[in-house]
Amino acid sequence: MAAPEAAAAAPAPARTGRGGHTHEWLLLALVVAETAYFAYAGSNFFTTGNAGEVARASVEIGLLALALTAVILTGGIDLSVGSLLGLAAVLMGSAHRDLQWPIAAAALVGIGVGVGGGVLNAALVARLGVPPLIVTLGTYSLFRGIAEGFTGGIRNYTDFPPALLFLGQGRLPGGVPAQVPLLVAAAVFFWLLVHRTPIGRGVRAIGFSPEGARFAGIPVARRLSLVYVLSGAMAGLAAVVYAARLGQAKADAGSGYELFAITAVVLGGTSIFGGRGSVHGTLLGLVAVALLQNGLRLSDQPAELAGILTGVLLIGAIGANRLVAERSRA
Amino acid sequence: MTPAAGRYRRELGVAGALVLLLGLLTVIAPAFFGAANLRDLLVANAPVLVAAVGMTLVILARQIDISIGSQFAICGVAAGLLAKTGLPMPLVAAGAVAAGAALGAINGALVAGLGLPAIVVTLATMVVLREGLRWRTEGVWIQDLPERFQWFGLGQAGGRVAIVAAAIVVFAAFAWGLRRLAAGRAVYAAGSDPEAARLVGIHPRRVVFATFVFMGALTGLAAVLTAIQFIDVQTSAGTGLEMKVIAAVVVGGVAISGGRGTLVGTLLGVTLLGTIGPALTFLGTQAYWERALQGAVILLAVSTDALPSLVRRRRGRA
Repeated sequence: MAAPEAAAAAPAPARTGRGGHTHEWLLLALVVAETAYFAYAGSNFFTTGNAGEVARASVEIGLLALALTAVILTGGIDLSVGSLLGLAAVLMGSAHRDLQWPIAAAALVGIGVGVGGGVLNAALVARLGVPPLIVTLGTYSLFRGIAEGFTGGIRNYTDFPPALLFLGQGRLPGGVPAQVPLLVAAAVFFWLLVHRTPIGRGVRAIGFSPEGARFAGIPVARRLSLVYVLSGAMAGLAAVVYAARLGQAKADAGSGYELFAITAVVLGGTSIFGGRGSVHGTLLGLVAVALLQNGLRLSDQPAELAGILTGVLLIGAIGANRLVAERSRA
Repeated sequence: MTPAAGRYRRELGVAGALVLLLGLLTVIAPAFFGAANLRDLLVANAPVLVAAVGMTLVILARQIDISIGSQFAICGVAAGLLAKTGLPMPLVAAGAVAAGAALGAINGALVAGLGLPAIVVTLATMVVLREGLRWRTEGVWIQDLPERFQWFGLGQAGGRVAIVAAAIVVFAAFAWGLRRLAAGRAVYAAGSDPEAARLVGIHPRRVVFATFVFMGALTGLAAVLTAIQFIDVQTSAGTGLEMKVIAAVVVGGVAISGGRGTLVGTLLGVTLLGTIGPALTFLGTQAYWERALQGAVILLAVSTDALPSLVRRRRGRA
């Protein structure tokens, strides 16, 4: 019984690999087409300055999307990242203003809150075995609720020092927005983790079959814990960047970001059922959505069109994926 | 534990939590039980219950719908616009319900027809519908509604009774149908094992399609029951409704993996989560903590479910 099954399973990686690349080439073509169209239709779209603005606006969602790629590869989901961003931003603001901590220490508080939130998700998902959708739906309310309760619903933390504001609003030599290197570093880290380490292979294996992964000797609970803690850590880091970019931290910071991030991941070709997907796909998905928003704005199209087209693209992408999968199975 | 008590453990647990909360209120803040407060509580939660009935069907069929907040907004606007054309109120309500059913059918066709994952499909339709509505209305509220729109033209007292009665009728009809009708059992069958359901002659895809249509229709009804409480229809209504409703259903013990749960559980979930906010005010805490407490209740409810199996696993390993 075991031998034929193994033989049947053997070609699978090559097949999924090729399907994955098709998706990413199509996405790249989309990005090129968007760029070409908006360069023609938009004013000041095809400039280095605007490229910087697109990158700057994408960093927070990008950080969340990178971490979510690993989470979704395990077949899980994390709906709490936007709420956790809000909570981390608010507590960071409070540490700086109310406790008078230096901004570096306050930023560490923000990241620490993110890690703590991730640990809670990890414990419930990996240790108690509660479905991730439910756990993170609960923490989605919990984190945002604590942020609302803590600030009384109204308090807004501002007057962050110039050093932090530089991270969010300044430019490095060469015109690169100051926060972009953070996203690049995170992208390299997640790409190596997912595509070049045994941990990444384990993460995919869990997505294909948790039971099979367990029998293959993969420490399933520990791998699951890792991806949820990383997800929390990225939410904390994104909170720091958010506060730096906008110069304020309110309880509603990052509302709805989880949906943008999930959109980038799924548009990037990662299967919502886990196992299949890539970090570079997510980055392409992120760029496709960011260009759409920015380009429509610069070509005087209604802002709502960005959301509508993103939704249509999302359904088109999974529909196409489905067709490719069916054809390769036939 | 008797088999019945074991099967309804979650329902009993949530009922226990509710009794505890109400007991606490009796002792500390008996004013909570004032007629006006209870009435407001019922009226505010009636539309939530109607939407939660639909969500129970969808989750029982092993699906999810996160687009209902956007559907809710569109159906409310549709009701307002229909009322302004001079249609009688029953037709206005029917129109909004039909609009909801049509939106649900879009989700159903994409999920059941094309076999796409429900969470991604409804994530996409959530954004498309919300942004589409904002594009068309430009965020302007529907105003100058005819006199008979608010409270169905029954006056405030009569309108409130009608809202709660509508929710009770919907709840009772679906609770009965899910238990007693073949179609109701088919929802459980398709959700617990689609392949087995197919072998006994049920069409799981048709069942899934139907649950999305019901979800949309009930969202449309919930939108009408909410819209008539106000003078204008807000175009931004329903934001976050999906999370609220899914939370109530899950707290009530409906398994996200499909096929397990009851509408009585959903009723208890809606009641518990709906009581927490007002209870906080009466207990002298800031209402801002409402969402945190709701989140904590969700986590507590689902972890108590998982604990027994965890203990068993630990023992098995030792």
